[in-house]
Order: sequence, then C-alpha cells, then structure tokens
Amino acid sequence: MLRLEKSTENQSEILSLFGEVDASNSVILDEAIQDLVEGGAQSIIVDGTQLDYISSAGLGVFMSYLEDFNDKGITMKICGLSPKVYEVFKILGLDQLIPIYQDRASAAAK
Amino acid sequence: MVKLPSIHIGKLSLLLAILVWLALLFVDLVRLFGMVNEIDSGISDEITWILEILFFFTLYGFYSYSIGKNIQSDFLNLLWRGASTGIFATGVAILIELFYFSLGDSKLGSEPFLKNFFYHVNFALTTIFLISSALLWKHLILYQKSKQVVKQWQAFEFAMLVAMFFVFFNKNNFDYSFFFGMVILLVISAVLSGNLKWIPYLTFKEKWKSLLFLFLILICLGYLFRRFMAYSEAETYQVNLTDNLFLMALFGFIFIYAIFSFLVTLFNLPTSSVFEQKLTEAINFQRLSQSIQPGENEEQVLDILLDSCMSASYSDAAWIEINSEEQKIGTNQLRFLDEAAKEELSELIKNQKAATDWASSDQPETLQSLTLRLSHARFESIMLVPLVINKTAIGRMVLCKEVRDGFNKEMVNIVTTFVRQACIAVENHRLLNQAIQNERYQEELKIAQRVQKALLPTKLDHPDSFSICAFSKAADEVGGDYYDTYQLDENRYVLIIGDVSGKGTSAAFHMSQMKGIFQSLIQLNLSPAQFMIKANSALSKCLGKNHFITASIFLINIAEKKICHSRAGHIPTLFYQAGTSKSEFMLFDGLGLGILRNKQYENHVQEKTFSFETGDLLVLITDGIVEAKNQKGQQFGFERIRSLVEIHHDKSPAEIQNQLIDSLHLFVGGDRMIDDDYSMMVVKFN
Repeated sequence: MLRLEKSTENQSEILSLFGEVDASNSVILDEAIQDLVEGGAQSIIVDGTQLDYISSAGLGVFMSYLEDFNDKGITMKICGLSPKVYEVFKILGLDQLIPIYQDRASAAAK
Repeated sequence: MVKLPSIHIGKLSLLLAILVWLALLFVDLVRLFGMVNEIDSGISDEITWILEILFFFTLYGFYSYSIGKNIQSDFLNLLWRGASTGIFATGVAILIELFYFSLGDSKLGSEPFLKNFFYHVNFALTTIFLISSALLWKHLILYQKSKQVVKQWQAFEFAMLVAMFFVFFNKNNFDYSFFFGMVILLVISAVLSGNLKWIPYLTFKEKWKSLLFLFLILICLGYLFRRFMAYSEAETYQVNLTDNLFLMALFGFIFIYAIFSFLVTLFNLPTSSVFEQKLTEAINFQRLSQSIQPGENEEQVLDILLDSCMSASYSDAAWIEINSEEQKIGTNQLRFLDEAAKEELSELIKNQKAATDWASSDQPETLQSLTLRLSHARFESIMLVPLVINKTAIGRMVLCKEVRDGFNKEMVNIVTTFVRQACIAVENHRLLNQAIQNERYQEELKIAQRVQKALLPTKLDHPDSFSICAFSKAADEVGGDYYDTYQLDENRYVLIIGDVSGKGTSAAFHMSQMKGIFQSLIQLNLSPAQFMIKANSALSKCLGKNHFITASIFLINIAEKKICHSRAGHIPTLFYQAGTSKSEFMLFDGLGLGILRNKQYENHVQEKTFSFETGDLLVLITDGIVEAKNQKGQQFGFERIRSLVEIHHDKSPAEIQNQLIDSLHLFVGGDRMIDDDYSMMVVKFN
C-alpha cells in the first residue's frame, strides 16, 4: 500500500510517502512526480520518513527523472529514510546521484 | 416353451368388434325370422343388449388404441379424423335413404330383413363416428390437463359406463329415469367442454380449417341424429338399438363440445395474431438467449435483436448505432430507412432535451429505454434503447414508428428484455473470447518460460579448484534474474549475477539482453570495472526509461588465488573466510547499470581485488532473498544469510544452497509465495 501527500514549504514541493513502493504502485509515485514537474516545481523534497519499503521498480521511478531534472535544473532531495530503506538506495548507488538527508529540515536548509 | 405371438390390441379389438356386430346382426335377424314365421325363437332382448354393449366396448378399445398411438398428431389432424368418419357415416346413411327412396313402395322396399340389415349398418357406422369423436374430444379436453380435469373425465367415463347398462333397467323407454340420466350426462359434458386449451395454439389459418371441420362434424351429427329419431319412430324394429342412453348422451356430448369449440375458435380468430406474436417473441427470446455459436459474431446477434425488436414493437424503421470507440462490431445497421433519413432523425433526437440527458447519463447500467415524440415528416414517435455490455453503454438501438405515441408499456418491456438478453449473449461471447485469448497467452508464457530457462547455464564453468552451484526462481512465469559463468583461459574464470529492476515479462526481456551483453563483452578480456562501464553504455541504449540492471562480476584467477570484483548496484556478495571463520558482505561504491546513461558512469564504478584460501566461500544472491518477507512483514535480511553460511560453511555448495533456500521458505511460511525473483550462486574454493 502506498499513500502520497503533497505540501509546499519554503518554495519546495514536499512529497511525503507512506507505506511501501513496489512494482504494483510505482506508477502512482511516477504520476505524482510528473504532476509536480508539470506544476512547475523547481525544488522537490521527497519525505520518506513513513516509507517502509521500496522495491527496484520504485527506485526506477527516481532514477528515470535524474537526467530530466539535470536538464531542467530541478533539484530533487530525499529525506528521512529509515536505515533499511537508505541501505537500498546505497546498494544501488543512488545515494551518489540524489542528495539524501537525515530529515526535512536539513534537506530544506541545503 | 411355446412362445405366444404378441397380441396386436388394435387389430384384435377391431376383429372382435366386427364379430360382435355380425353376431348382433345374426341374433336380430334370427329373432325377426322367428317373428315373421310366428315361431318363438327363444332369443331374449337381453342378448341383443349384451352384444350391443360388447360392440361399444370393442370399438372403444380399438379407437383408444389407435388414437393413443397417433398422440403426436396435431389438432387439425384429429379434427379431420372426426370429420372424415362423420362424412363417411353420413354418406352411407344418405345412400341407404336414397336407395329406399328410389325403391318407393315396391316389395323390396318393405322387405324387413334388408331393412333390418341396413338399420344395423347405420347403427354401426354412427356408433363408430360417435365413439371415435368422443375419444378425439378426450384428447383435446385433456390437452395441458390438470388433475382436476382428469378426475372430471374419469367421472364422465364412469357415468357413460353406467349409461351403457342402463338399458337393462329401463328397457328402452323414454321415461323419467332416462331423462334424468340424460340431464346428468349432459351437465358433465358441458363442464368438460370448458377445456379448450388447444384452441389458442392454432394459427390464424389453422383456426379457419378447424372451423370448417367442426362445422362438418356438426352437420353430420345433426343428420345422423335425425336418422336415429326416424328409426325410433318407425316401429318396425323389434329391439331398438338406438334409443340407448349411452348413444344419446354421446350425441349430446359431441354436439356440446363441437359447438363450444366452434364458437370459441370463431371468437378467438381476431386475437390469434396476438397469440402468434407472443409465440414469435418467445422463440426470438430463445434465439437471443442461446450463446453465440462458434463461427457467429456479435453482428449476427444484433441482427436478430433488431429484427426481433422491430416485430415485437411493430416498428416501421430502426437502426443500431455503436459508439465509435467500440470497433469490435460493425456500426450502423439500418432497417427500412436510408443514411440521410437516419442523420435527419439523429439530429431531431439530439435537439430533444430528454434525449441529451439520457445520452449523458453516467450510470449506463441503470439506464432505461426512452420513448419520444418527433416532428418528422414520416416518423412521429421513436424509442431509444441503450445497449449496455459490462456496465458500459456500447451504443443504442433506435426504433421508429409512423404513428404518434406508438410504443406502449408492453412493447417497451419486451424490447428491453430482448436487448438485455442480446447484451448478455454478446458479453458472454466476449468473455469466452477473452478466456480463449488468456489461454493462448498462458501458452505463450509457458514457451517464454522454457526459452528463459535455456538462457541460464545448465553447466557452470569451473575448474577442480573450486566447486559451484546456482539456483534461480522467478516470481511469475518469467523473471529478471540472471547468472552465468565464463572460462577466459586455463586459470581465469568469470562469474556474474544480475537482477533487472521490476519483474515479469519486461524484466525477462532485459535479462536476455544482459546475457547477450555479458557473453559478447566478456570475450574482450576486460577488467571487471571496464566490463561494467561497457555494459552500462550498451544497456543505456536498450533499457526502458525507468529500468535498470544491477550486477556483480567476479574474475577468479585460480593460479594467483585472487579475485577481482566489481559491483554495479547489486546486493553485496557474502565472502566467507575459512581462516578467520568470519564472513562479510562486500559493499563498496558501484552504481546500477542504466541509471546514469553517460560518461559520468565511469566515476561511479569501482574494482576490488582480494585473495582467497581453501575453504573460503562466495555467496552471490539477488535482492529477492534479502527482501523476502514473513507474515509479520519482517525481511529475511543479510544477517540470517550470514549466520546460516557461517554455520554450514563446511558443507558442499549444493548443501549450503539447499540450507539457505529451505530456511528462506521456512521463514516466509510454508504456503506463501516469495513475490520477487530470487537467485543465488554458491562457490567454494578447494
């Protein structure tokens, strides 16, 4: 199960994830990010504090925007990941491409 | 044993009837002879009566057998049988009358023996006509019988039986008891004559024919009755056969039923078209409710539907239109109007608010038929019926009539029922097609499964200096996990394990690409990091936008006892060192393949070289094992793998592998499936 919440904070679009991202619902995450981009968001912070699990399909969603965001100058940050979820990002090497922060405050500050 | 020939009841009773009649004739003639010659023949009246009753019985036996045998014959046939028998009996009676008329007052004309003979002939034929007709009536009365009607008929038959023997009591006098018996029998006849359920089943044409036959029967009946009366007035016959309560009651019964049938048929003539219409509707309904046969298509069902609805509602024109997104069925079936008229009508319908409201309803499954008035030159009323399949409106049927307010409630009901039935038939047809297609897909997937299995090596390249085993299981029919081995030269071996993001068919395609890339690039004698860079560059051009592949590659040099390892985002490999009895997951930087699709990737891949000793173990896994969850939602995790390997390190690779897989299944729970592909490769250095 995946639940999404959107909010705005200091010119950053915050996308909070609740539950699990897997192959069956990664499309929802993809659409949410797509919406933010179309809405003209320049800074996106993905809050993964309540994220329990992310599968490779979920990682694929973040990965697919890397180049696009680079070209458009959109920044994407991820924050609040639990150790287990962070490990998944780290194993894949995504931590080298997407800035990952302890919490929302430190993500917003940078 | 003597085998008795099987007795033919029909023939036997006919034969008996003829014999009894001859006996009757003989007895009466002998008695007459005695009277003429004034000798007492000693034959009492009772013998005649007994023979007469026997004659009735045998005839009854013959006819109930012969009509029962032809029970399938339709009503018209039955009526014709009655009429033809009547015509024959009447014809013979008329001939006899004409014969005597031509003789005038000659001697032969008053010859008592001949007269008596003809009297018996007339009696026999009339009795045949009466009994056969009565049995035909029985057949008609008991059509769609209820228990009550059967009881009534049995009572009537019993009363008739009593009437046969009445002659012994009454001695053929017209007294009060005769009239009393007659009244009782006639009342029962009248009650029975209310059973006319066969009439509505006749078509218009058949009704006319049956009217004719009934009329003939009535005429014959009238004539024969007149003849009987004439006989009973003439006192020339010693024993009167015809003033019999049984025969008189039969006359009454046949007359009453014939007259009832005649009148009811006559008055049913105007409504017979309605009944025929209902019958057609029932047949149409049945045609529609039959599921679509192989070889037929939905268009044919709609064809039947349109015709059935038009005939049920007496429409003058009609068409079916199918929404443009539904391309499965050919659109626009027109009946009795051209495209231009249809466009004209569609425009008029569009201008009506009720119709636009109706068309824009967001709940097609509850949509009802709609009848409208139109101001069109030809058609003044139309009816719109939605075609709803699987809760979506696929189109509509439009019925047009030239009269204003031409659709009544019954028509709307029957048309709605027809449409519903047709839609169910179409829906079933589609479901069936879908099932067949699914079956085909399943078959294709099985083929894919076989093909994919062949992509994984059955024989793993390895020297004597290490033993190896591997295992892979896909969550679906096909999966995205990959492992392979390659022997570079005498001393150098390559192992690879990979995992495509996602699972299922798309992952399987990418897995086969990975195999191709590995088998081509590995021959170029690349270092592990170089291999990853080339593989990334190759995969960048063929992977889908949000797909990536993780991989771990090991170049084992058995001469130097060194392993060079590079990791591209893959789950770290467990390395167990026998010397220290410790194991660790080798995690260092390494980005998954296809994530960064440019030169930058080079900065994100590393290479590690380490030595191995005898007894050391390499356990290559995919994330399906680490992330497998139990009922509580806990993951199998790295630590369980590590401790299991440490415990079982002295066993063979196959045993260690089995231990790991068994523990994994135990952890997940016996019946539960692991919902990701999972693979493993275990290497043990000797």
